[in-house]
Amino acid sequence: MEIEVEEKEGYVIVMPVGELDVYTVPLFRKVVLKLEGDRRHDLIMDLTKLTFIDSSGLGSMIEMYQKVQSAEGEIALVIDNPRILKILKLVDLDKVLHIFPNLGRALEHVGAAGGYYDEEFFSDLT
Amino acid sequence: MRPIFRDVNKSELAVSLPCRQKSLKRARWVVKKFARRHGFEADAEDMALATQEALKNIVQYACPVDDSMHVTVTDAGDRMVIEVLDKGTGFDLGAIEGTPPSPMALHGRGIQIIRGLMDKVVVESGRGGTVVHMEKMRAR
Repeated sequence: MEIEVEEKEGYVIVMPVGELDVYTVPLFRKVVLKLEGDRRHDLIMDLTKLTFIDSSGLGSMIEMYQKVQSAEGEIALVIDNPRILKILKLVDLDKVLHIFPNLGRALEHVGAAGGYYDEEFFSDLT
Repeated sequence: MRPIFRDVNKSELAVSLPCRQKSLKRARWVVKKFARRHGFEADAEDMALATQEALKNIVQYACPVDDSMHVTVTDAGDRMVIEVLDKGTGFDLGAIEGTPPSPMALHGRGIQIIRGLMDKVVVESGRGGTVVHMEKMRAR
C-alpha cells in the first residue's frame, strides 16, 4: 500500500492506495501520527483508491477519527467503492463518520464545519 | 510448518497454514479463487474477508501449540461452507456472543464483520480447540 498526502484548499487529504488491513495498518498509523505531530486538525480521508479493508483497517480509521476529534478538528471520508462502504456499514461506522461520495462534497463539509485555522496565513493580520 | 493445500475432491479444498500473519493473505486468495471457480463470483470477496477475519482472530489471540490453523472450503451445491479451525485451548464464547462493540471501539469487529458477510455462522470452542463454521448461500 502507498499513502498519498496532499493539501488542497488548506486541508490535508490522506489517500491510502491499495489495501488497508492488518498488514498495512502500521504504515497508515505512522503517517497519521506524523500528521498529528504536525498539528493538522482537519482531515479528509479519500478512500477512492482503497481496494480492500478489514477490521484492523477499520480500527485504525476510528483511532484517526478520535485523534482528530480530541484536537477539536473535523474529519470527512470520501468513499465511492460500494464494497468499502458495505464493510463500514456492517459495523455501523457510517452512523459515526461523515461519509461523502466525492472530494468536493467532503471539502464542503469540512469547510462548513469551520474547524480549520491556518496560523501562518492569519499571522500577518494580527 | 509449511502451508499444505489438499484438493480433497473437486468440491472440497483443505488448507493448513502456519499460525502467522502472512498466512492470512494466502488463505484469502485461496478462498476467493475457489469460490470463483465454483460459481460464487458475486460473494467471493465476502467469503475471503470472512475467512481472513476468522484466521486473524487465531493469530492474534489463540495460536495453538502445534502452530497451525486449518481451513476447509466446500461447495455444497446451494451453499459454500467454510470452516476455520485451530486446536488451541478455546476461548469464552460469551465474549463474542454479547452486544456488538461500540462503533467507536478500536477492536472487536472481526466476528461482527463475519456475521454481516455470511448467511450462517456458528462458533464452537472448547478445550479441543475452536471451529468457526460459516455458510454462504449461492446467489440466484
